[in-house]
Amino acid sequence: MTRDTVYDVMVIGAGFAGMAASLFASSRGLSVAQAGTTGGIDFSTGFIDLMGVHPVSEQRRRMRPWKAVEAVVRDCPGHPYGLVERDELAASINEFTAFLAEQGLEYVGHDDRNTCVLTPAGTVKRTYRVPRTAWNGVVALEQKAPTLIVDFHGLKGFSAKQLMQTRKDSWPQLEAVRVEFPAGRGELYPEHMAWALADPANRVRLAETVMARAGGAEYVGFPAVLGLNDPLKVVTHLEELTGKKIFEIPTMPPSIAGPRLRGAFDRGLPAKGVRTLSQKMVLKASAADGDMLRFEVGTGAAAVTVTAKAAILATGRFFGKGLRANRQGMTEPLFNIPVVQPRTRDEWHGPDFFGPQGHPANMAGIEVDSRLRPLGDGAPVHRNLFAAGAILAHQDWMRMKCGAGLAIATAFKAVKELTG
Amino acid sequence: MHFFDFGLSIASVICVAGVARRIALWWRPTTKPVSDPRPRPILSAVKALVLDVLLLARTVRTGPLRWLAHCLVFFGFMGLLLFHALDETVTVSFFPAYESTLDPWQFLRNLFAAMTLAGLGLMIYRRLAVRRLRAVTRTQDWAIVLAVGCIILSGVFLEMSKIISPAAYQRMADEYFYSDNGQEVTALKAFWAHEYGVVFSRRLPSDAATLEMGAELNEDNCAACHADTRSAFLSRSLATALAPLSPAMNTSRADTVFWYFHMIFCFIGLAALPFAKFFHPLSTPANMIARQGRRDGDAESPLAQRMGMDACTRCGECSVRCSVAPSFSVLGNPDILPSEKLASLRRFWSDGSLAGRPLADFAQGSRICTECLRCTDVCPSGINLQDLWMRSKKEVARRSPDPNGAVRLMRPSQRVVSFEDCNIVPPISGLADNAESYWACVQCTTCTSVCPVVAVCEDPSTDLDLTPQQIMNLLRMGLKDQTLGARMVWSCTTCYKCQEHCPQNIRVADVLYELRNTAAARMGCGDRAGIDGESQ
Amino acid sequence: MKVLQTRVLILGGGATGTGLARDLALRGVECLLTERRDINAGASGGNHGLLHSGARYVASDVEAAVECREEGAILKKLAPQCIDDTGGLFVAVEGDNEQYVADFPAMCGRSGVPARELDLAEARNMEPVLSDKLIAAYEVEDASVDPFMLSLDNLAQAMTLGAGYERNAKIVGFTKKGGRIQRVGFLNEATGEEFEVEAELVVNATGAWAGIIAELAGATIHILYSSGSLLITQDRLTRRVVNRLRKASDSDILVPGGTVSVLGTTSVTIDHPDHCRPTVAEADAIIDDARAMIPCLETTRYIRAYAGVRPLVMTGQGSDARSVSRGFSLIDHAHDDVENFITITGGKLTTYRMMAEKTADMVCAKLGVDAPCLTKTEPLPPSTMGRWTEPGLGPKSWIGDRDGDDLILCECEMVSKNAVNTIIEHMGPMRGESMLQAIGMRSRVGKGPCQGGFCGLRVTGHLYDRGLVEGHQGMDELRQFVGRRWRGFAPVLWGLGMVQADLQEALYCGALDLELEDDDSRCGGDL
Repeated sequence: MTRDTVYDVMVIGAGFAGMAASLFASSRGLSVAQAGTTGGIDFSTGFIDLMGVHPVSEQRRRMRPWKAVEAVVRDCPGHPYGLVERDELAASINEFTAFLAEQGLEYVGHDDRNTCVLTPAGTVKRTYRVPRTAWNGVVALEQKAPTLIVDFHGLKGFSAKQLMQTRKDSWPQLEAVRVEFPAGRGELYPEHMAWALADPANRVRLAETVMARAGGAEYVGFPAVLGLNDPLKVVTHLEELTGKKIFEIPTMPPSIAGPRLRGAFDRGLPAKGVRTLSQKMVLKASAADGDMLRFEVGTGAAAVTVTAKAAILATGRFFGKGLRANRQGMTEPLFNIPVVQPRTRDEWHGPDFFGPQGHPANMAGIEVDSRLRPLGDGAPVHRNLFAAGAILAHQDWMRMKCGAGLAIATAFKAVKELTG
Repeated sequence: MHFFDFGLSIASVICVAGVARRIALWWRPTTKPVSDPRPRPILSAVKALVLDVLLLARTVRTGPLRWLAHCLVFFGFMGLLLFHALDETVTVSFFPAYESTLDPWQFLRNLFAAMTLAGLGLMIYRRLAVRRLRAVTRTQDWAIVLAVGCIILSGVFLEMSKIISPAAYQRMADEYFYSDNGQEVTALKAFWAHEYGVVFSRRLPSDAATLEMGAELNEDNCAACHADTRSAFLSRSLATALAPLSPAMNTSRADTVFWYFHMIFCFIGLAALPFAKFFHPLSTPANMIARQGRRDGDAESPLAQRMGMDACTRCGECSVRCSVAPSFSVLGNPDILPSEKLASLRRFWSDGSLAGRPLADFAQGSRICTECLRCTDVCPSGINLQDLWMRSKKEVARRSPDPNGAVRLMRPSQRVVSFEDCNIVPPISGLADNAESYWACVQCTTCTSVCPVVAVCEDPSTDLDLTPQQIMNLLRMGLKDQTLGARMVWSCTTCYKCQEHCPQNIRVADVLYELRNTAAARMGCGDRAGIDGESQ
Repeated sequence: MKVLQTRVLILGGGATGTGLARDLALRGVECLLTERRDINAGASGGNHGLLHSGARYVASDVEAAVECREEGAILKKLAPQCIDDTGGLFVAVEGDNEQYVADFPAMCGRSGVPARELDLAEARNMEPVLSDKLIAAYEVEDASVDPFMLSLDNLAQAMTLGAGYERNAKIVGFTKKGGRIQRVGFLNEATGEEFEVEAELVVNATGAWAGIIAELAGATIHILYSSGSLLITQDRLTRRVVNRLRKASDSDILVPGGTVSVLGTTSVTIDHPDHCRPTVAEADAIIDDARAMIPCLETTRYIRAYAGVRPLVMTGQGSDARSVSRGFSLIDHAHDDVENFITITGGKLTTYRMMAEKTADMVCAKLGVDAPCLTKTEPLPPSTMGRWTEPGLGPKSWIGDRDGDDLILCECEMVSKNAVNTIIEHMGPMRGESMLQAIGMRSRVGKGPCQGGFCGLRVTGHLYDRGLVEGHQGMDELRQFVGRRWRGFAPVLWGLGMVQADLQEALYCGALDLELEDDDSRCGGDL
């Protein structure tokens, strides 16, 4: 494609929302350019949350996500879920996971209720969809089945003993064992371990090591290092080798779960015709002739200019660089869209980090109209500019446990609005 | 002619003995395993002779200007050599009617001289104008230009002095012009003075009648074996230019003086042939014919290697294109540049005279080489440099242990000390020293996670000492010295994955690259300190 | 109930308390040190870490200036491991009081405090971050001191000489009889265990809490609580201590501390020492004021804020914190009819040794012990307990001597597993107490840019691995640790700090659900 191509849509951001927007837009026949650097998706657990806690101040966990979505729309005016119909929300997640399945990352879960999964800290989290490779862990946890958690010398931040200790009251048949990783010593990193396990010989050695210590366990849980692009193959192979039901537990970021998701999109989106300007940031946006938008992407020799008829802003929050905080207040750096925020910085954060109210700063973000177009002074900033994901105001995805769902659903809605 | 015979004999003896010695060295017994010389089909040797030697095809690759200069000198000098210096053996056997004073020979001689001089001029210009070439230019490069230039120029001056010389005229007249008629003698003299540029001490008539008569006499007695000196355009122009000096030159018998000069320069040139760069007119073609036009970097027999080493003209083309030449600008060690390293390599292999500082320099240059093949690819002499470097590396490692390698073998803490000992701080300061470079780091370890160098390590903390993330943190804390010796710094492939994946846009790879430069510079200082210490 | 016996009971494990324990131990007097939380939990840990040359006090308090000068010199000689002899500058910028600037050299001369006038270009050359609006600069002999290492080294030597130490010991009451304290009752808040201590003499070295403790014992001291907040920058901005050359005020001092710089401070009167915590407003005020001296303070990255309470003992009518004496108060409560009770409070970190000496003198006089003070001449031996507070030691030891099994647990400050193990070994019994918190205090864990975001979980995992925590205890400690860090983190959340905090909350709350009660009872059930 030449530089002069005009795209139907420019997707700004490469997190959950950006990836989803590119997927939905390209699937609907639009020509898409996408830019964004490493961000949220690379640091995710790989779980897809829909709605887990409401009301946040009561710290009330929800097993019924759809009811929780209804409640949050009712109780929290402005929550982005209020802009999306339930069937759109369901369709968006199904389309998203269907694409991942095509790419070899199958997701599973119940349609009408949340699923409990173990976190690397040993806590139990509720989420909506989990990778197929984590599913045996869900079953083992539900049944409190005899299970062995394996960890590795050298992989820090993942302690099988910690999982065992935190869960021992309700799950007495949970055991922990630490083994040597069959390929590599010293400090180990999930991505490198995943590469090593692409070699079947290493899986055989791993299976032998684990079997020697497995005892009567029916399930064996590993930190999520079982293969990079084809984890299911590795899990299946290990199951054949051990005769146990194998599952993965995510590790601390940057875990392998994020790169797996990113990898699926990096492979799948260009195949759908998306022009991915990966690892490049959109540095400047300006209006061009005929309601078009022009973007300057990347720096130095690799810098490119992209012109598009419409754009979806999915740059996330502070970590994603979608919002910027300075001592005077919060801003949106690309379009200078006004950010809805507490009046003074004093009010951004509560005194207690884990306080049940959450921090007001997390409800800040950009305001949109019913078509997800960012608002400035009560009117859309640009006719064809839409927003999706965590950058939207009036939600606290970390406390409400709705990050991925919100990103996917608003991306779906934004694409629908810009085509409609 | 005593002088001529004596001089020629001496020069020839030196030349023949020297050439024989050098060629004999190619066959000197070796302790290294000898690989079978590949079969040498005559056809490819002939092809090499035509393409590489006669057409200087390899030289074309180094640039049109250089090729032009070489062609001018090569063809000009060869012309002079064959048709002038060896006229009695070569020219006469092909052209029985040959007379050096006849055209086209007289004209050609001047043409060849002009070509050679033009070529030399271009060479001088390039050596002065190309910056990196200037850096590798040595005395012997100028010496060979000077030697050839002196031979040519002295020849031109000799011819010029003969043109104007009444004595030379008289010698010819005595031999070929039998006349007692004073008028005729004067007329021929007048004609030669007017037309051929002889400068007589006495004024001669220049009226048309006399000249006409002189022309007739010339036609009858001289033209058969002496052409108009105008076709000796160089010498004749020179004579015109130096006209005011002519009487003085004639009285001082300049033709004899210039003859001696010309002969001396020729003998020097001949005697110098086996030495240094003077040998390349023989060794380079020999090498190219032996290599039959191959440009690959396959292993060679020791004979071919030695022949190759001898073929080096130190033209510096390899150094101009060397991919690690930038290290030379940091470290200042000329042995990083292939053209210079080859000279050291000859010493390294031949007589073991390489020791101390020169050996350390050579060893460093040897280690820094990345074996990228660019020097071999470009070498106009067709030397398989790649093979030479690869062969010598092992031996270098044995005779001059790698201080870098030694550093690598040290415990990391010892390494830090060795860097701290070095009080020469290289003038490199930028990203690594600037705290702002790391402000944005959120400690996520992505840089380490995506690093392929870490990935291929069996045990990163031992094999690499520090991971990229740890290096960034040490630098953030201002502990730069602790990072310089880390194997990670030296193992980084600058693939830029870390930098591309950093969510905070920290220039991890750029920092690592800068650290390596800093460390290299300090390493150089460490070498020097060590060597200086020994010599004191 | 357990009853411990000792000759002298020292309440409060700050610089004075630990210094006193060492002083007494060196004199051969048996003592026991008790601390409500852990070493330097009060003002001893919440200050600049500045070893005053005395120049700061030449205008307001000649006596304090002289004391600082003398004590600074002693500490530099006897406890060099705790001190970074950076040197210091006093600088004035346009708009500062020129009269004060003009009087400064004479005032220094009067107190014998060396101060060398610098050419402005020279000063800017020495510290390039200084403002170009400089109008005066003097070089003085300030230095920075690691208060944690200082107290830990003092305590370590005291303990090797037989002194006892109890931490997490909250005072619940005094048992008195006939104007004498017979016993002091304690509650170990970590274990819930109560115990009593019987001592001949009780020294109240609880700093800002001295008034509250004295009141429990039936004595009276009026103390004004002045909270001072400080900011820590991610980088060390200067080589030297930089003071604003003006009448003592807020945001005057930037002290380099290892790999960071500490900027402060404020002076806010609070009603109770427990209520001391840095605020957003203070952080803003500090930067807005200090950037005139060092402009890059506006743009640099801050990693946290912290606060300490100065106990200002009211001797006259003045109620403004700065007009109240910064000198120390040594009170024999015999006049309050508590015969064997002494309070030592106030003062400065720089003069802690002298305060301990004077207190020990009084203790010995009351006990009838005739032993000279040795802390003035005996070097303070470095201890393993204290050494890991040094910034840069983690990375150096990681590079120097690690074994193949070692790992970095705290990436920011490069504290390795083996280092953490060493700290644990030298911490003494930790039954029921927060290991993570104690490790954090004794090392650089949690003190780097991530503020516990990554290292918290990694160290917790390690504690579980070693069996040092069980059940939910490790997770509770992690929550507590992150919560404690948050107090200093929250006021500096803008720019890159906000990015870091966003990531931290996404990890701890978004991914790990640590804000919620950990409960899996309804999993699998149908709601």
